[in-house]
Amino acid sequence: MTLAPPRTATAASITDGVKTYGRGDSAVHALDGVSVDFERGAFTAIMGPSGSGKSTLLHTLAGLDALSSGSVRIGNTDLGSLNDRQLTMLRRKSVGFIFQSFNLIPTLTAEENIKLPLTIAGDSADEEWFQTIVGTVGLDDRLTHRPSELSGGQQQRVAAARALVSRPDIIFADEPSGNLDSTSGAELLGFMRRAVREFDQTIVMVTHDPVAAGYADRVVFLADGSVVDEMHEPTPERVLDRMKNLGG
Amino acid sequence: MFTTALKGVLAHRVRLAMTALAIVLGVAFVSGTFVFTDTINARFETLFTDVYAGVDASVRPETPEFGAQPGQNPGSFDESLLADVSAVQGVSVAEGSVAGFAQIIAPNGDPIGGQGPPTLGFSWIDTAALSSVNIADGNGRAPEGPGEVVIDVGTAEGNDLSVGDEVGIQTLGGTETFEIVGLANFGTEDNLAGATLSIFSLDEGQRLFGLEGRLTAIDVLGADAVTPEALVEAIAPILPEGSEVVTGDQQTQEQLASITEGLGFLSAALLAFAGIAVFVGAFVIQNTFRIVVAQRIRELALFRAVGATGRQLVSLVTMEALIVGTAASIVGVFAGIGVATGIKAAMNAGGFGLPDGPLTVEPRTVIVGLAVGIVVTLVSALLPARRAATVPPVAAMTESAAPATGRSLRRRSLGGTLTLLIGGAMLAGGLVAENGASLTLVALGSLTLFIGVSVLAPVFAIPIARVLGRPLPGITGDLARENTIRQPRRTASTAAALMIGVALVSFVSIFAASIKATVSDTLEGAFPADLAFQSTNFTSGVSPELEAELEALDEFDIVSAVRAGYIRIDGEELNVAGVDGDVEAVYDMTPSIDVADLGDGMLVAQSVLSERGWQVGDIVDVEYAATGIVPTAIAGTFEDQTFANYIVSLDTYGANFSNESIIIAFASLSDGVAVEAGQQAAETVLASFPNLDMNTASEQIADAEAQVDQLVALFSGLLGLAVVIAVIGIANTLSLSIVERTREIGLLRAVGMTRRQIRRMVRWEAIIVAVFGALLGVLVGSGIGWATVFSLADDGLGTFAFPVGQLVIWLALAAVAGVVAAAGPARTAAKMNVLEAISYE
Ligand SMILES: Nc1ncnc2c1ncn2[C@@H]1O[C@H](COP(=O)(O)OP(=O)(O)OP(=O)(O)O)[C@@H](O)[C@H]1O
Ligand SMILES: [Mg+2]
Repeated sequence: MTLAPPRTATAASITDGVKTYGRGDSAVHALDGVSVDFERGAFTAIMGPSGSGKSTLLHTLAGLDALSSGSVRIGNTDLGSLNDRQLTMLRRKSVGFIFQSFNLIPTLTAEENIKLPLTIAGDSADEEWFQTIVGTVGLDDRLTHRPSELSGGQQQRVAAARALVSRPDIIFADEPSGNLDSTSGAELLGFMRRAVREFDQTIVMVTHDPVAAGYADRVVFLADGSVVDEMHEPTPERVLDRMKNLGG
Repeated sequence: MFTTALKGVLAHRVRLAMTALAIVLGVAFVSGTFVFTDTINARFETLFTDVYAGVDASVRPETPEFGAQPGQNPGSFDESLLADVSAVQGVSVAEGSVAGFAQIIAPNGDPIGGQGPPTLGFSWIDTAALSSVNIADGNGRAPEGPGEVVIDVGTAEGNDLSVGDEVGIQTLGGTETFEIVGLANFGTEDNLAGATLSIFSLDEGQRLFGLEGRLTAIDVLGADAVTPEALVEAIAPILPEGSEVVTGDQQTQEQLASITEGLGFLSAALLAFAGIAVFVGAFVIQNTFRIVVAQRIRELALFRAVGATGRQLVSLVTMEALIVGTAASIVGVFAGIGVATGIKAAMNAGGFGLPDGPLTVEPRTVIVGLAVGIVVTLVSALLPARRAATVPPVAAMTESAAPATGRSLRRRSLGGTLTLLIGGAMLAGGLVAENGASLTLVALGSLTLFIGVSVLAPVFAIPIARVLGRPLPGITGDLARENTIRQPRRTASTAAALMIGVALVSFVSIFAASIKATVSDTLEGAFPADLAFQSTNFTSGVSPELEAELEALDEFDIVSAVRAGYIRIDGEELNVAGVDGDVEAVYDMTPSIDVADLGDGMLVAQSVLSERGWQVGDIVDVEYAATGIVPTAIAGTFEDQTFANYIVSLDTYGANFSNESIIIAFASLSDGVAVEAGQQAAETVLASFPNLDMNTASEQIADAEAQVDQLVALFSGLLGLAVVIAVIGIANTLSLSIVERTREIGLLRAVGMTRRQIRRMVRWEAIIVAVFGALLGVLVGSGIGWATVFSLADDGLGTFAFPVGQLVIWLALAAVAGVVAAAGPARTAAKMNVLEAISYE
C-alpha cells in the first residue's frame, strides 16, 4: 500500500439533509432530514420506493447538487463551504462515479476512459494499480476498444474501473446494474464487492434490486426523503421482505 | 404540414437563428449594394437635371472617337462662333465658356485632390439659368478679373480655406497665385463627387488654359416657344467642322453617364463580394440543416412510424428552410439599408462627395434580395431534406441514430475529384481564353473548384485533424482532436466555408506579391536613370516645360521625357509612348534600332511581336484620334519593360497628338554629383510643379508596392465578410455539437474536469476546424494564384512570388477566428449544470 493521508473512519456523511424543490404548496421535499454515516471500507446499498429520494441523496453526497439545509462531509471536508472549482477538485480526487448508462466518452478507448480522471488532473497513472484493476474487472484484452465496440456489461465495468483508478475516498453508483442482464450484473457487482474487500474501497450504491443489495455490507432504506431502516449483512430474501413492508 | 414545419422552426429557433444570421448578412450586402448604387444614381440624376435644367442646347467640340485623355484640355472653337450662335432664330441667350485642367495648391504647397476624382477648372457663366454653379450665400462673389478664383465649398471646408485666402492654381502652363473671391455650390451640393472646382472669369480662363480667343462650350437658352430639339436643328447648320450641338438633356445624360460609370464598376465589385458572401453562407446553411436533420433523426423516424411518407418529410424540411429563408431575407433587406448608409458614410469619409438625400429602395432591390436569400436557403437545404426522407421508421426505436460515416467515401472521392478536375479545367480555360482571360469562366471555375474541394474535404478531414491536433496539449487537446474526427463530414463542411474566404485572400496575396516582384524586378533591371519624375495627379500629365527646366540644371547630365497617348490597332485601344533619343541613356531598354534612327517607324515590344505574329519590317495600320489611320513600319523591337509596348519618336508623336504633357521623365546625374545633391537641385524646379513626385529607383519600387498593398488591404477587408460568415458557421456547428454532447460534457465535469478545461477543449476544437479550413484555403488559393500568374506571364507578369509570411499570418488569423467562434459555444458548454447534463435525454 502507498502512503495515504490519515483517513477518518467515516468516508462520508450527511447530517439533517433537507432538499426541497419548488416553493409553498407545490414544494417537494426530496430529502426530509436525512442523517447517515458511510463507514470507510464498506459497501452500502441505498434502497427505497421510486421517488423516495435515493438519487437526490447520492447527488448531494457527491457534491453534484447542493442541500437546502443540513451538511455533507466527504472525509474531513464540509461540502457546504466549497465553490464550484473546489467541488470539481473534490470530485477529481476524492469521488468516483458509476452512472446507470452513458458512462464513457465515446471518442476515447477503454484504457483512456479508465484513466480519464487522472489525465484530467494531469497525473500519471500508477501502472501497478491500473493493471490490478483491469485484471480484476477482466478487461485486459479490451483496453484499445472504443465504447461502441464494448457490450453494456463491459462498458459498466470500464466505468467501475474508472471510478477506482484515482483511489477516491468514496465511490457513488446509481443503479449501475440497472441496464444489465443478470449475468453481467453479477459480474459487475462481484467486482464492486472485491474492490471493497480486497482494495479497501468505499462504495455507496443506489439500487432497486434486492439481489444487487445482497452484495452490500449494509442496506439503508429510504422512504419519503428520510431513512426509515437499515440492515447489516443483508441477503436478497431479507431485503425483499423488508421492501414489501415498506410498500415499495 | 406548414404548421408542423413552423413548430419545427420554433422548436429549433436557437439553432436556426444562427443559420438565419448567415443569410441575413449575405442578403444585407446584396441589397445594400443595390440601395447604395440606386441612391447615388438617383441623387446624381436629380442634381444634374437640376443644374442643367436651364440649358436648352449646348455647342461643343466633337469628342474624338477614342483616346480622349482625362485631364487633357478638350478641343475648342473660335469665340466668334458665339455671335453666330446668338444670332440664330430662336436663341434667347447664348454664353460661351472654357474649361480645362486646374489643380488647386494649398498654401503649404501641397496639391489638393487629384488622386481619383478630377480637378476641374472652368470659366464663370453669368446667366444663372445656364450655370451649374452658384455662389453660396454670404460667401463672396463671382470671379471678375485677373488673379481671382472661386472654388467649391466642399474643397474650401475640407482644406480650411475661405474667402480672401490665397491659393496656387496649377494648369498645364504652370502655377500662379490666386485670391479666393467666392465659394460656390454645385447646384444644391457643396461638392461634386469629390472633384475640386476652380472657376475663373472668362478672360482669365482663356489665358490659363492657353485658349485665348477660343471657347470650349456655348450654352444656349431658347426662346419661350422653341423646343430644345428645334433649337439644335436651327444651330447645327452654322457650326464649323469639328463642333456639334446637343440638347441640354443629352448633355445631362452624358455627364451623368460618365459620373455613374465609375460607380457602376464599384457596384459590380461590391456585388461580387456580396456574391462570395452568399456562396459562403450557402455552405453554412447547408451544414446547419444537415446537423439539425441528423439530430432530429428519431423525431423524423417517429413521423415515418406514424405513417408519414419520405416525400412528406422532404417537404417538411423544405418548408422549414422556406420559413427560415424568408424571415432571414426580409431582415436582410432591411439590414441592407443600413449597409448602404454605411458604404456611403465610408466613401464620404474617404473624400468622395456623394450627394445627400433620401435612400432609394427600388422594388428590384427587395425582389432580388428576397430571391437570393430564399433560393440559396432552399437549395442549401435540398440535400439535408433528401436525407430526411431516407430515415427508416425503425430509427425511432434504436438507441443511437448516429449516421454511419465513411460509407460512401469512395464515391465521394470520385465525385470530388471529378468536380475538382472540371473546376480546374474551367479555370484553365478561362485563363488562357482568347483575347484575355474570361472572367466569368474563371469565376465559375473557381466556384466549382471550391465545391470539389469541399466534397473531397471529409476524406482528408481525419488525417489532417489528427496531425493538427497532435501538438495540442493535455486531455483537452486529445478530446478536441477526437471530436473533430468523429464527424469528418461536419468538420469538413464547416471548414470548407472558411476555406473559400481564405482561398480568395491568399489568392489576392499571391497575385499582389507577384505583381510587386515583377515590378521591382523590372524596375531594378531597367533603371539606370538616377531619378524619375512622375505626376501625382492620375488624370493629367506634367507641362512639357519640365524637361527644359531640368536640363538647365548643371546637376543633371541627360533628361528624357516620355509622353503617352492612345492609338488603335485592329480596333483595339492601346498605349503608345513618344520618346526622344536620350531615353536609351537613362532607361535600360536597348532597342534593336536607335530611337534617333526611328523616323516614321515604331518600336514594338518583343512579346507583342510574338503574340500578334508580326515581324520587324511589317507595316501596321495605326489609327490616331487626331490624324486617322497612318500605315506605320515596325522599325525595331525591344525587350518588354514598364512604360509602353509601342514606342514612337517624339516627332511622330507630335505629328499625331495635340497633347504634349509628360507622363514620366527620367534624369541621370552629371559625373560626380550625388543623388542627394541632384534631388536638392531638382527641388527648386519642382516648386513650380507641385503635383510632381521625384523618385529614386527604390522609391519608385516602394511607391508601386504601396499602391498594390493598398489594394490588397481593400480586397482583404471586403473578403472579411466571407470570413465573418464562415466564423458564424463554425460557431453554429460547435453549438449544435455541444448540445449533442451534453451528457458527455456532464460526465467530464462529474469526473473532475473544470469549467476552464471544458472551455479550452471547445476552443481547441474550433481552432483545429479553422486551421483545417484555412490550410485548404491557402492550398486552393495558391493553386488559383499560381495558375493566374502563370497564364499572365505573357502579359508581363513574369515573376511568381509566394508570400510565405503573409500566408502564415492568414493561418494564424484563422486560428484566432476559431477562438472567436468558440467563445459563445465554449461558454455554453462550461456553464452547463453537471446534474442536468448527466440526466439529459
Ligand atoms: N429537479 C427536480 N425538480 C423537482 N423535483 C424533483 C427534481 N428532482 C427530483 N425531484 C423530486 O424529488 C423526489 C426524489 O427524487 P429522486 O430522483 O431522488 O428519487 P429516486 O428515489 O431516485 O427515484 P427512482 O427510484 O425513481 O430513481 C421525487 O419526488 C422527484 O419528483
Ligand atoms: Mg433515482
